[in-house]
Amino acid sequence: MDSVLRAAAMYVALMILFKIAGRRSLAELTTFDFVLLMIIGEATQQALLGDDFSLTNSIVVIVTLIAVDVGLSLLKQRSSIVSRLIDGEPTILVENGKILRARLRHARLIEADLMEAARSSQGIETVEEIKFAILERNGKISVIPRDQ
Amino acid sequence: MDELQHSNYQSRDYPVREDMAYQLKVWRFERWGWYVLVGVVLMAMLGVFSRGPISARDAQSTDGKVTVRYELFHRNGSTNPMRVVVSGRGNSQVELELSGDFLNGFSIETIQPDPIKAVSAGQGIRLWLQTDPQGHATLYFTLRGDGLGPYNTRISIPGSSPIDISQYILP
Repeated sequence: MDSVLRAAAMYVALMILFKIAGRRSLAELTTFDFVLLMIIGEATQQALLGDDFSLTNSIVVIVTLIAVDVGLSLLKQRSSIVSRLIDGEPTILVENGKILRARLRHARLIEADLMEAARSSQGIETVEEIKFAILERNGKISVIPRDQ
Repeated sequence: MDELQHSNYQSRDYPVREDMAYQLKVWRFERWGWYVLVGVVLMAMLGVFSRGPISARDAQSTDGKVTVRYELFHRNGSTNPMRVVVSGRGNSQVELELSGDFLNGFSIETIQPDPIKAVSAGQGIRLWLQTDPQGHATLYFTLRGDGLGPYNTRISIPGSSPIDISQYILP
């Protein structure tokens, strides 16, 4: 019983923590983010398994995590409220070449992040060339160029 | 400029449908969440989750014959020390009783030094210790928290006032 509770509690705790961390936190993995992710994994693993390293326990934990995850995605399919709560919504950051700075600030982004996404996805050099830049639900910035 | 600032918080319908009122709530949640995270870090530094200034406690019986140093907060599955110092006559034996429900919540991993004799007494244990020439006997416990929630312990020696301590085991 406690394995199931541990796994479910850890799932909820991690979900809340990563909601606090925001969309951008682990979407664009830098080397350091990758190291951070591994450390989080290590710290989680101990609490999930406790001092029981049996095959049964690990399978129970994995089954619980996947069951919660699948259950949540089924719930998201049925309810738009749950879906919005868990996945969030896309946000427009640039509109017709104008940066919406207040939004950028709230999303904890700077212009350099925006231009990096514009360069790497569309080969865009200046903000004026951007028609729309949208912070997607998964934390990536998608860029739509202006018609030449 | 004011108009532009205002338009930042207006919802757009194209190319994606936005709900800025909701988005602002999300951002507010992230902001307050960050304060909570900092709060948790500070609380951990202070010892609210065991091992820190708030958690380390000393208690003494009213006549000063028994002193105990313990951790107020424990964590399930981890070990913490507890030290009991008893005063009595020099080079003799003193009897120490630990009672209460603490043995339900803790398992005693080690007792250093070994007591001369140990018997069970009700819910707790009774130990006999050898005092040094100055009349002191010190006992070091390593306790592992197995339970969850609050546990009370009464530490007493015959003919002296007891010490009542409460300890909490966190998940």
